[in-house]
Amino acid sequence: METLSLLGQGFVIALSPLNIGLLLMGCFVGTLLGALPGLGPVNGVAVLIPLTFAFGFDPTSSMILLCAVYFGCMYGGRISSILLNIPGDEPAIMTTLDGYPMAVQGQAANALAISGVASFIGATIAVIGLSLFAPILARAAIHFGPADYFALYILAFATIGGIAGVDPRKTLLSAMIGLVLATVGLDPISGVPRYTFDSFHLYDGVEPIVALVGLFAISEILMLLEKTLKDRPKAIPVGSWLPQWGAIWRTRWAMLRGSGVGFVAGVLPGAGASLGSFMAYVAEKQTSNKKGTFGKGDPRGVAAPEAGNNAASGGALIPMLSLGVPGSGTTAVLLAMLVSLNVQPGPLLFERQPDLVWGLVASLYMANITLLILNLPMIGIFTRLMMTPTWALMPIVAAVTFVGVYSISNSVFDLEMMVFFGVLGYLLRKLDVSLVPLVLGLLLGGDMERNLRRAMSISDGDWSILIASPISIGLYILTAGFLALSVWLAVRDHRQSQADRLTEG
Amino acid sequence: MGVVIFVIAALYTRQAGTYAITFGDVLGPTVFPIIVGIPMMLLSASLVVFPTGQVDWPAPQRMWRQLAALAVLVGYTLTLEPLGFPLATFALIALIGIILGGAPWRAVLLGAIMAPALWALFDQLLGLPLDFLGELFVAD
Repeated sequence: METLSLLGQGFVIALSPLNIGLLLMGCFVGTLLGALPGLGPVNGVAVLIPLTFAFGFDPTSSMILLCAVYFGCMYGGRISSILLNIPGDEPAIMTTLDGYPMAVQGQAANALAISGVASFIGATIAVIGLSLFAPILARAAIHFGPADYFALYILAFATIGGIAGVDPRKTLLSAMIGLVLATVGLDPISGVPRYTFDSFHLYDGVEPIVALVGLFAISEILMLLEKTLKDRPKAIPVGSWLPQWGAIWRTRWAMLRGSGVGFVAGVLPGAGASLGSFMAYVAEKQTSNKKGTFGKGDPRGVAAPEAGNNAASGGALIPMLSLGVPGSGTTAVLLAMLVSLNVQPGPLLFERQPDLVWGLVASLYMANITLLILNLPMIGIFTRLMMTPTWALMPIVAAVTFVGVYSISNSVFDLEMMVFFGVLGYLLRKLDVSLVPLVLGLLLGGDMERNLRRAMSISDGDWSILIASPISIGLYILTAGFLALSVWLAVRDHRQSQADRLTEG
Repeated sequence: MGVVIFVIAALYTRQAGTYAITFGDVLGPTVFPIIVGIPMMLLSASLVVFPTGQVDWPAPQRMWRQLAALAVLVGYTLTLEPLGFPLATFALIALIGIILGGAPWRAVLLGAIMAPALWALFDQLLGLPLDFLGELFVAD
């Protein structure tokens, strides 16, 4: 009951005219960003963060806008997957497997409608889960001491390393690069400048927003430049937008199963939406691929991954809000924005700023309904905007990125840092090193060090405090479990790499 | 790449040792960088010895395009203040558009429209101060 009354107050906040306006704008922009190949949720949100600073919104409104964009991207990604056979963003890769064949067979309207409804169901289940579980987790996390937080951060890095699928050593290394970057600047406790190379610009440390925008947006431009720039394939024309409702109804179990699998994947720190849709597709294929129709345009192969990626994106908000440990790349970017606005997510957020938490949750319910409307009857608009050529889109994105970052500090040095991080991000991506752990390291590094030092101060230099509480011991056991699992997966993947390449291609 | 990271990690760890001021705080600024630096050295060393994955670096022609784009981006950071926002942004949009394979006249047109539009949006509507004319044109 308490949750319901808090949620009621949340709706009061979410229904203010400014927040409704931001919600609608965010949903529209998000769907469009998701549908445009090359711009995904991480890039989109990273580019928009400096803009929300420029507008000067309060943290609640900024979060409502950016989460609407985030959810919108998850809806939009499927449009180009189905019509172009090019995933609009990473999580939509699985949707191409059955979505494009459906469109080729003249069932584009059905595929779009099924995936739209699946997105709605997945995201709504995730938001319900968020309202139920996030407060419980936050209440449990109140009991965490500094040593427990240190253990939690280590767990977060280990899970990211385990699930990202590539060589776990590279993922851990990426997290460490992030931690190294986090130590740049004045030491928070003693005030000693570290790794500043005597540059005053670096005394405040590496501004996470600048680093993020560089890592994701600028490196995306560089990635794009190495691909062939042939014209994109023509979108499959769609005669009528009206789907057959029976076809949607038949995929209901696939949607529910996909939502469940995706939600669990999303809550795990570091897994994120791409894994959610992948696992949902694989699970659905195992349960219902009796006649070998998957991959040839089976509607259930569209419903499950779409429900999965939307459920995962909602689920990923739970650890981010209640523990301050993001569950995916995009939630890491959202965390960076909250920290920059002086809002520290974590268990205390629910007590100190219930308006922000519940206003956001309420607006997510509304975002889902808005997105369902945008994505079913109004889908024609997006299919037309989706064809914006890359040569026109990317320069504008670059310009907006630069203005946004410049507007934060009016410093050309920040722009140079951004370009530097763009190159770094590009090189790491080429080397198969995931950027998400790096971002996590950069964001959490300061807190991780502070908690370690606080714990050591409490124990007066006795290292055994790190394993003194049952919470931290439990977390270390989980960490060890995940590391073992990831090594096992890496060894198995190594053997199966040939088969994997086939499914990824 | 493993070698580069190993060298950086080693320098980083060595540098950490020099921050040896401890007062009132048990660990001081030194210990955490060492905790990060040493496993980093081990991991990068293991990647040097047992590498995984192969990288397809882009063809030289593509690489030139990337370098050109980088030059434009760096050029923008250098020209933004001297030239002022609209002019520098016009060059940025037009040049990146051309590098991305747009028809030159269209890219120039896009820049000519978008640069003043962005300036109007940010400076006039949102109240972010962006110089219309740069330092080169405005005598103090």
